[in-house]
Amino acid sequence: MKLSRRNFIKASAATGGVVLAGCAAAKPATNAMASAKAQPSSPGKGEWIPTTCQGCTTWCPAEAFVQDGRVVKVRGNQLSKSNHGYLCPRGHMSIGQMYDPDRLKTPMKRTNPKKGRNEDPKFVPISWDEAFETIADKMLELRKNKETEKFLLMRGRYSYTRDVIYYALPTIFGSPNNISHSAICAEAEKFGAMYTEGYWDYRDYDLDNTKYVLMFGGDPLGSNRQVPNAIHQWGKVLDQGKVAVVDPRLSATASKAHEWLPVIPGQDGALAVAMAHVILTEGLWHREFVGNFTGGKNLFKAGQELDESAFKENITSGLIKWWNIELKDRTPEWAAPVCGIPADQIRRVATDLAKAAPSCMVWMAPGAAMQVRGGYGAMAAHALNGLVGAVDSKGGSLQKMHAPYQHIPDHKKFKGFVDEIAAKGKKHKKIDGRGTKEFPALKKGKPGKGVVTNHTADGILNEAPNEIKVAIGYWNNFPFSCTGADRWEKALTKLPFFTHITTNVAEMSWFADIVLPAAFHKFEKVAFLTSKFNRYSYLTLQPRVVAPIWDVRIDETEIIWGLAKKLKDKGFANLFDYFQSALVDPETKKPAANGLEFAFNVTKYMTQKAWDPAHHESGTKINGWKEYLKTGLWQSEPYPFHKHWKNGGSFKTKTKKFEFYSETLKVALHKHAEKHKTSVDDILETTKYTARGEQAFVPHYEEPFRHGDAKEFPYIFQENRSRLNREGRSQNLASYYEFKKVDPGDRSWDDAVKINPVDAAKLGIKEGDKVRVTSPINSIEGRAHLFEGIRPGTVSKCYGQGHWAYGRVASLDFGKQARGGSNNHLMPADYDRLSGSTARHGGVTRVKVEKI
Amino acid sequence: MSKKYGMVIDLHQCVGCGACALSCKNENNTAERVDGQSHNWADFVMKTEGVFPKTRYTQMPVLCNHCTDAPCVAVCPVTPTAMFKADDNTTLHNQDRCIGCRQCQDACPYSELVLDDEKSSDGAQYSVISFNLHGKSTTAKWQDKSEMIPGCTGSAAEVAAKVGATPPDQNKYQSGDYKPVRKSGVVEKCILCHHRTSAGMNPACVDDCPANARIFGDLNDPASAISKALKKNAKTIMRYKEDEGTEPNVYYVRSYNDPTV
Repeated sequence: MKLSRRNFIKASAATGGVVLAGCAAAKPATNAMASAKAQPSSPGKGEWIPTTCQGCTTWCPAEAFVQDGRVVKVRGNQLSKSNHGYLCPRGHMSIGQMYDPDRLKTPMKRTNPKKGRNEDPKFVPISWDEAFETIADKMLELRKNKETEKFLLMRGRYSYTRDVIYYALPTIFGSPNNISHSAICAEAEKFGAMYTEGYWDYRDYDLDNTKYVLMFGGDPLGSNRQVPNAIHQWGKVLDQGKVAVVDPRLSATASKAHEWLPVIPGQDGALAVAMAHVILTEGLWHREFVGNFTGGKNLFKAGQELDESAFKENITSGLIKWWNIELKDRTPEWAAPVCGIPADQIRRVATDLAKAAPSCMVWMAPGAAMQVRGGYGAMAAHALNGLVGAVDSKGGSLQKMHAPYQHIPDHKKFKGFVDEIAAKGKKHKKIDGRGTKEFPALKKGKPGKGVVTNHTADGILNEAPNEIKVAIGYWNNFPFSCTGADRWEKALTKLPFFTHITTNVAEMSWFADIVLPAAFHKFEKVAFLTSKFNRYSYLTLQPRVVAPIWDVRIDETEIIWGLAKKLKDKGFANLFDYFQSALVDPETKKPAANGLEFAFNVTKYMTQKAWDPAHHESGTKINGWKEYLKTGLWQSEPYPFHKHWKNGGSFKTKTKKFEFYSETLKVALHKHAEKHKTSVDDILETTKYTARGEQAFVPHYEEPFRHGDAKEFPYIFQENRSRLNREGRSQNLASYYEFKKVDPGDRSWDDAVKINPVDAAKLGIKEGDKVRVTSPINSIEGRAHLFEGIRPGTVSKCYGQGHWAYGRVASLDFGKQARGGSNNHLMPADYDRLSGSTARHGGVTRVKVEKI
Repeated sequence: MSKKYGMVIDLHQCVGCGACALSCKNENNTAERVDGQSHNWADFVMKTEGVFPKTRYTQMPVLCNHCTDAPCVAVCPVTPTAMFKADDNTTLHNQDRCIGCRQCQDACPYSELVLDDEKSSDGAQYSVISFNLHGKSTTAKWQDKSEMIPGCTGSAAEVAAKVGATPPDQNKYQSGDYKPVRKSGVVEKCILCHHRTSAGMNPACVDDCPANARIFGDLNDPASAISKALKKNAKTIMRYKEDEGTEPNVYYVRSYNDPTV
């Protein structure tokens, strides 16, 4: 036993005199083991109140345990069929976020007119009225000069009440520039599903019934999406089937899998097309979904073209074209040196996947999609779901159920409230460059419909298509969260007038003229959200669990109501008049008397079909608003399997089939090319893709595009996610650093630069050494952590640290010195231009690593 | 027969997410790490083995083992002992009787008097028993009146004052033995959420584990879920540092990284 192993006096002496002093105060008596009895005890008393967690975009129905008006604990909404009543670890960190001592407690303004990274803004507190006065004056100046297009609204973490701030405000005021954050996080992933099955959204996955999970660049046990469901079901999934994880890092999910495929970053597409090749040549495709050769015999042989008439497809379209154009030569032997995965493993995983068909899934995630040439990789990975009939199948990849929320009245046009100035302003082109030749942003098949969030910085800097004079940003932090972050610092410096709405004084606030304190979404906001997972769609409330302790207001509704009122006081009444006439309380028909009432009005109006028995459509029957406040949750019926298999295919594609040859993408690309009076090939060249001709319309392999010369920058940089990241907002909490070690390969209280020991030895780097990581645009510093869980030739670091603002824990010296290094200063801004997505995965940049 | 509370942690179910430890901190208002004391009543050990690409990563949630032959109780020098075994086998701690001599911390095979920052940051070392230094406030953080941007951002003291609790999210449970927030000069450790189990509830880490990896219950009751889980997984049962001879009552079953076990 340990008792004899240690010398108590020696050990306690090492901790200083305090221990000994304590000992001396009481005489050690002979101990009397087990002579004591437990005194009575009882749990804390309080009430569970429903709300919604927004620590990631899973948007979990949650509950808060409230004692005397304070939140002390959280859990999943006990009614939820999606998260089973559980939250993931990040849910538990939200309380610390609300009670963060560094939160902004009042509106403030900058008094140092000079802006810049090294300029202290010298913020001073102001009243809400002064803030609204100043903002309204700046906005009205634009109206006076008939240049309302110079107003910019940048959205960040939002709820569905965004209709007010994101649609009504810019449209009625007269600007086309409502720019969402969406494309910094995942649009390339949606591209993959859109141009195969006509679905521009995240897929749901039926883990409950699956027999094989092939994870492509996702880590659902660690990070978005549907984390609590994945955690809850994982043991069962491992028992009833197999799991293979494609990820250059041994992720949380890879550590709990049967197979790990540590692909070379960005080479996911090679792996996917090789797996497709195996499934076809081995004759393992799903006959009912895909169809068969008319002669019944498998004619897929490596290298051999086929006649299209030889195969009769069922619910798919273009299989033989895909084979002829792309797959016939994509053997595992071809792929192995390209993607770094042995041919036998490619063959085994593809075979095992197909043998479990159709109760199997290819879970395609941002890691395999958000790459400069990632759009086609995303299509290739998702197309495997088509080959094995997993699309819409029990245990497969699913779409979602309808959730019956309604938009605010006339939410796109706001007829009667948009005057001539506004109508003219709104007609201008958007500041993010979408729809230009370089940025097709082909959302839902329509060129220029998607957002190119990160390019907004360049739009501001280049005044293209026009100057931005007045901007508002809410719950976003683009100089921290966007790649090429230094561009954002410059762009925000250039903005003549910028208002930031935030809980914490973030990097983005540093460049603001006015900073407004936002209510904390999970516990202080009044709003609702919709999402889906585990086959259920849901509408979940944020009903304001506790009264805020600071003078904060709700971003999307309460603040905008106050601003609209001020605009009306100063002569521009349209916005406020719209609010007060269109967004009355659905029960009393009364307009809001204040901004908080307005937040409730909007939420009640938009969710009426969920809680009002007179408007009930489907799903949970809720007996009125009061009951909805109590339960917080409307849920759909479960998603029906094979929904889009009906009538030989009812997908929202051109052919109504699951497309291996994407007629849908062909139309979209041609539309974009025609708009710019050029060819599709020219568009592909402009968007950095290598495909030409017919290859543009099938899922195919593209060689990854990387910044940096391989000689000067020998290592491929890969970014990973943390199971403790509440987006970029949990870094002012000690618990984030204390438990950072739960991310495989990371260390607590450090921003670990993960290097394979083989590479470390070459570089003379030892565990814990300080290192500098340099990309073609910038350097960051960190401590080396030698990890056998990352691929030699790559360097990995987690997103999240590197704040130089946000709080006194997040930064080493607020406003001056960062804690750790921000990957977004290292990675140049680049895009998958076809979707508009920021490219942050697949090794977008090369780096060098030096010991310092 | 009296109850014998214990826990089973199913490593096959566990995904190493960290929710148990964070939930525990919220439930028991444990402080942040200071002076080599983690104040983590629930924590983790982790290791990476093998060479790329045959790498194996293991995570193991750890907590007080509520040992049958608890050395922390055996060495407690006061009468009656401050660290004691309750009738239900929970190793409980009475803060009023604790003199802060730290012999329990020294005797515990699962604790360090002072944690090595490097080892503990890497999941190689942890403590079950933490100490609150004599003469040093355990709520010092919430007494800090400084503001990051004067007049604009809050201070810890202001938050605590406004919500009327220290820490502001304090879970105010009742116990005659241990307080929801500890005083200086005493040790502290996992008490299996005795304030919850005495009311028929599970410990917080059990209820908040999204993976259902933790089973709490009465080892003396053959019909309990914990006894059944042990019977079912008899071949894979492991107790951490069993050779220390303390008869730990936290059992690990199955494997973290081998789904076939």
